[in-house]
Amino acid sequence: MFTKSAALESVSQDVFFEVAAFLNKEARLLDEERFEEWLGLIHEDIHYWMPGIENRRRENPLKQGFYDKDHMAYFDDSLRDLQRRVARFRQPSAWAENPATRNVHHVSNVEAFVAQAPNTYEVYSTFTSIRSRGLDEEYVIYGRRYDTLIRTESGLKLLKRLILIPNATLSCKNINTFL
Amino acid sequence: MSNIIKTLDVTERLDNLKQVCDLDEGRIAGEIFYSQAIYEQELEKIFARCWLFVAHESQLVKTGDYITTTMGEDEVIVVRQKDGSIKVFLNACPHRGNKVCFSESGSTRGFICNYHGWSFDTAGNLVGQHESGIYEASDFDKSKWGLREVAKVDTYKGLVFATFDPESPSLQEYLGPMTWYLDALFDNQEGGTEFVGGCIRSTYECNWKIAAENFVGDILHAGWTHDSAARAMLGGSVAKVSDFDESYSVNWNGHGYEFALDTVGNVAVLGESKLNRYIHTIKPSVAERLGDFRSNMIASVSSCTIFPNFSFLPGQNTVRVWQPRGPNKIELFTWVVVNKSAPDEIKEMWRKGAMMTFSPTGVFEMDDGENWEYCTKTAKGRVTAKQDLYVGLGMDTFMEETRLPGNVYQGQLNEANSRAFYQYWYDLLSAHTWSEVPNRNKGKVEAE
Repeated sequence: MFTKSAALESVSQDVFFEVAAFLNKEARLLDEERFEEWLGLIHEDIHYWMPGIENRRRENPLKQGFYDKDHMAYFDDSLRDLQRRVARFRQPSAWAENPATRNVHHVSNVEAFVAQAPNTYEVYSTFTSIRSRGLDEEYVIYGRRYDTLIRTESGLKLLKRLILIPNATLSCKNINTFL
Repeated sequence: MSNIIKTLDVTERLDNLKQVCDLDEGRIAGEIFYSQAIYEQELEKIFARCWLFVAHESQLVKTGDYITTTMGEDEVIVVRQKDGSIKVFLNACPHRGNKVCFSESGSTRGFICNYHGWSFDTAGNLVGQHESGIYEASDFDKSKWGLREVAKVDTYKGLVFATFDPESPSLQEYLGPMTWYLDALFDNQEGGTEFVGGCIRSTYECNWKIAAENFVGDILHAGWTHDSAARAMLGGSVAKVSDFDESYSVNWNGHGYEFALDTVGNVAVLGESKLNRYIHTIKPSVAERLGDFRSNMIASVSSCTIFPNFSFLPGQNTVRVWQPRGPNKIELFTWVVVNKSAPDEIKEMWRKGAMMTFSPTGVFEMDDGENWEYCTKTAKGRVTAKQDLYVGLGMDTFMEETRLPGNVYQGQLNEANSRAFYQYWYDLLSAHTWSEVPNRNKGKVEAE
């Protein structure tokens, strides 16, 4: 399982403020369906990964404990994959997106550390994604995120994201958003 | 043999089935997707009797390797034995019924109940308990209180099936000529197939039949429902199925496989040219192994359901079971299947591609879920539930003259397989015993 390296030091207050603002902006862009602007926050070498969670005994762990890099994943995406998902949302024939899904993305428990690679930060957070569709459908997904942000000429970009939900069975039919 | 499972007494058939399911007339009614009374009959007369998919052999490599799953709503453990065979047990302790295995997969020397410490070996034998001395004082016979074993387990080309019913036909008889078509995906290369790892579970508020029927023979929905995904993945619409020169719907005992002969239509939607090339590369060897005809099926526009709830898509290589969880809820278990002999890079592309297209985050599946849920939910209306639903396409398309095995129908834009699926469902709900299930198969058992 992912755990923080003890050697990492916290970022300065200024950088922390910047990182928190980045995560909040990202959440708002998703809530407002501004997917192209959201893609603008993503680095071209992104690895956007949400592994499937497997319910295993402690003495029988997978490579990463309750998930495995070589097993099935909800997202295991490059920038091209993310762009394809956005392209579907944008089709007039995306029947299941019309009427729109209403989203709230909530981010908290933010911690930020200076990473070993130059110009990068390790950023940990928790999230809640609330979606409603139709008259009465409501889906809540929550979890932890382990991000790597990188400072580029055009500002901070998301270089890596690991999304871990606690659920071995997803309690809804799909994830028609980003987390 | 007291560890063999007790079978159910069969309750009386429902008296209104003809009103909600008349396939000669080409109609069903939404009530079959919403009725609790019908669902309870299904658990007993379908899920407690039919052969159900429980595992792929690649998940159970060594002695003691196990997975847990469900047969209907019954929880089971599937475990590899010392002699190489596979046993399937109820995942319930014979003392107070507590679950004995809480993990979805792993490798073990046995199972121990958390409640009173009843301990079982991988063959299901009770081998000990906490405070075992007090059982001896009560003349307890350990040999009679092992894990309850299902009636029969059998495999076909790596696919492991089990049934609770000792009276059920053999797996071979149950699958019949569908095996000839299963080979197109599950035996197209030396070494067969394997699952790549893991199982993704998600929840739909839909009836299990609407999903199973979608895969048994409904390619018609793809061009409309999945237009957005096709445009996202390919930059254009999906292949126009009505343009294919040759395509078929084949069924047997409620199972169904609909397919074109375009070789790569399904794999193409993954948007990975290397996968298309892999299919073209292996095609000559498939033709040698299975003949030209089936070499055109290996990743073509096609889908299949083995009755009642095991489905797959050749090419996308998604394999799934629609686990019933009440009349209007399912848990979808999905896996990714690949040829064992495929290069690692190709397997990896399928692992990602199957999920990118058909999974809870898959761009294709997004639009299915919405449809299936509302096909189910509208039947909450008592009036709506009684209205006829049309399932009459291709009534006169049965092919008398064909060399293909099974009940063969002309064209895959056809509801022949859907009718056959619901007919078998109807026949099982109406039958007290297997001998009362009418044989409606009229095609060949073997290919000519």
